[in-house]
Amino acid sequence: MTTLHGMRRRVAAALTVLAAGVLAGCAKDAPQDLFRPAGPNAREIDEGLAGQRYIFYMAGVVALIVLVAVAYIVVRYRDRGQDIPQQTHGNPKLEIALTIIPAVILATIAVPTVKKVFDLADTSDAACVVNVTGQQWWWEYDYPAQNCGGIEIPEPIVTSGEMVLPVGTPVVLRITSRDVIHSFWIPRLNGKRDAVPGRLHTLRMEADAPGIYIGQCTEFCGLSHARMRQAVAALSPTDFQTWVDNQLTPYSAPMGNEVAVEGEATYIAQCARCHQVNGLVDPDGNPVLANPDQYVVSGVAPNLTHLMTRTGFAGYTFDLITEECRDRLWNATPDEFGALYLQGVWMDSPADATVPVCFDEAALREWLRNAPGMKPMFVDPANLASTGGLYRGMPALGLNEDQIDTLIAYLLERK
Amino acid sequence: MITTGSRLFFGATVLSVVAAVVFAVTTGGPTGFMGTVGLVTLAVVFAFLAGVNQYCRDSSVPASQAGVEHNTAVSRQPVGRSMWPLVSALGIAGLVVGVVSHPAVFKVSFVVLLAGFAEWLVQAWSERASADNTYNRQIRARLLHPLEFPVLATVGLGAVIYAFSRIMLAASKSAGLWIFMVLGAVVMAGAFVLAGKRSATRKVVATVCTLSAVALMGVGIASAIGGQRSIKLHPELSRGVCLEEVGEEEMHHADENANRNVSAQAAIAANVELQENGTLIAWVNGFNGEGDQQHSQSTLQIPRSTRVGVLFHNNLEGEYRLTARLGTFGEDPEIVECTARLEAGRTAYLSLLAPRADAASSTELVLFVPNLPEQKITLVVP
Repeated sequence: MTTLHGMRRRVAAALTVLAAGVLAGCAKDAPQDLFRPAGPNAREIDEGLAGQRYIFYMAGVVALIVLVAVAYIVVRYRDRGQDIPQQTHGNPKLEIALTIIPAVILATIAVPTVKKVFDLADTSDAACVVNVTGQQWWWEYDYPAQNCGGIEIPEPIVTSGEMVLPVGTPVVLRITSRDVIHSFWIPRLNGKRDAVPGRLHTLRMEADAPGIYIGQCTEFCGLSHARMRQAVAALSPTDFQTWVDNQLTPYSAPMGNEVAVEGEATYIAQCARCHQVNGLVDPDGNPVLANPDQYVVSGVAPNLTHLMTRTGFAGYTFDLITEECRDRLWNATPDEFGALYLQGVWMDSPADATVPVCFDEAALREWLRNAPGMKPMFVDPANLASTGGLYRGMPALGLNEDQIDTLIAYLLERK
Repeated sequence: MITTGSRLFFGATVLSVVAAVVFAVTTGGPTGFMGTVGLVTLAVVFAFLAGVNQYCRDSSVPASQAGVEHNTAVSRQPVGRSMWPLVSALGIAGLVVGVVSHPAVFKVSFVVLLAGFAEWLVQAWSERASADNTYNRQIRARLLHPLEFPVLATVGLGAVIYAFSRIMLAASKSAGLWIFMVLGAVVMAGAFVLAGKRSATRKVVATVCTLSAVALMGVGIASAIGGQRSIKLHPELSRGVCLEEVGEEEMHHADENANRNVSAQAAIAANVELQENGTLIAWVNGFNGEGDQQHSQSTLQIPRSTRVGVLFHNNLEGEYRLTARLGTFGEDPEIVECTARLEAGRTAYLSLLAPRADAASSTELVLFVPNLPEQKITLVVP
């Protein structure tokens, strides 16, 4: 009875460990699930003899065999006071078999992998180009003037956090970095590519269907590495054209909304040193041009000209839209995604609304109140000696609540 | 009665308290606060030791106990000379020298002082741990060898590596190559001989290694005193040279001494080619495009505040350079960078850094060939 009871306990413990292992792989939302490829490059990585899926299964089978064998041997031959068995030295047949089998498995994987690596590096069919630049701790995307897969981009566009691409169009990303090494990765669209200062690496990216594809910097890059996220919003060609047109809309100063007018002045006084809003002029009519190289280590800060067309901010770390609206957007069908995305924070808002329904004001307000409190960035003024007085991110500006009110009103009009 | 040992610690306690008060009064700010905390901590430590000593009466053995002078551990005399007082004294002297010379000397001396004190303390304790000298040596070794061996190995290897680096820096480039090869071969041969000679004792091996290390360090010190060889850096090409506004002789000299290496070819932003017909064209890396997009003569977009490289290929007969005007921002002078003049068929790498958006510049951002002013590529920095 005791033996049976002990056996039951062991089986129960083993099942518990197995269940924990299986359940650990479950997730309600898994936007970075690389086993759900959504573009030709990700499929290339996923499928075939050298695909991640096949290798994963093969590695799983090998791991299972090894672990079961180890567990069996540990239990079967445990020390129970028995005599030491006869000692043997060497078993040529076994050793040859154990050399040949892994060699065959590795060769099976390696040969097609090499071909796959070269295929993935090919960007010769790219119909559009986007420069991707990493810095602590956000990504900037600039679109040169070009014909992007049939859609004319007459002037350069600069945005950050979310890269917007037309679906079905092979796009080449030209990736580099302004400070340390980062790594750009949108698991559902392609593999990783390092962003290295002084070097420019290319990565082909193409999405099958409209939707949002989430990624994460995968090269440890400093204090807020874990908060350096990114997204690709894939739009139908028509929606992409709308997005381009909107991004190139000339600046319109706040009119009618007195708080927003005040906000423009606050913005010029507090934010314009680093952040550019294209077309912004001071009261004398002179262009307001940011000089971020005077204040931040990377020499840049996100362009805020059309901030409210995005759904996240601060390196896509925080949402500009509420959780409910984000869930709705992320789970939208390909047909409805474009229309929702183009509304940005104004999603679901009535035409005459002054405050958008989906706007997550609390997050932006807290950010303006104390950015380093939300995202650590070594911005303690007492610790700036090592960077020659330059910040690594946005400092706490010491704004009062009235100033924050005016800034939010002003930024809400950057759409 | 206050025991002899306790008196020392009581005195040190009083001294620390006085020092803390004086330091607190005379030194303000964070330094004063931290120093005072340190001195008060010291006073507490001394007071504790004084209390312990007083409680155990300096661990003195009652004189009435028979044979005490021969049988107890505390009665034993030190078994040998100790170098740790000398090391500690050197540490103290180094501290003083470090205060007036260099912080590094102070820090090293502080470490030496701490190590000297620690070794001295453990040695004094272990020599009286029992009446058995062999046991005492073993207990000291068990306590300190795990610390001493890694530290000594690190210091010894560091000294050898540093000495070797001084030799390589002092030797000429070609001599360095030979030194590296010969030394490597000697080490290999020596190891081969010693490994094959089974009769070689540990003492012989240790002697050979020590002598080799000492010789290497000796040559290293001599090399360090002699100083490193003169390493010629490629001068940056001046604005006058880039815009070809200086005399031919100065330009020729600058071009001759300029860096002609072509590096980072696989990670460039664009190729810029001066074609045989005198046309300057550019195409971006990784993007073939179609039609005008393939060889764009008009614009090249680069990110702001980011260093990117372009490769310049000269295929036109004659000598030409590629010059970049990277903007004039505020009162600062215009940023100009360029390659050396290249003969036909040659290639050069040019690194570009535009610190701000082109809209912030009062001058145009372009890539151009000085003698062919109509051939230019506009740089767009959004």
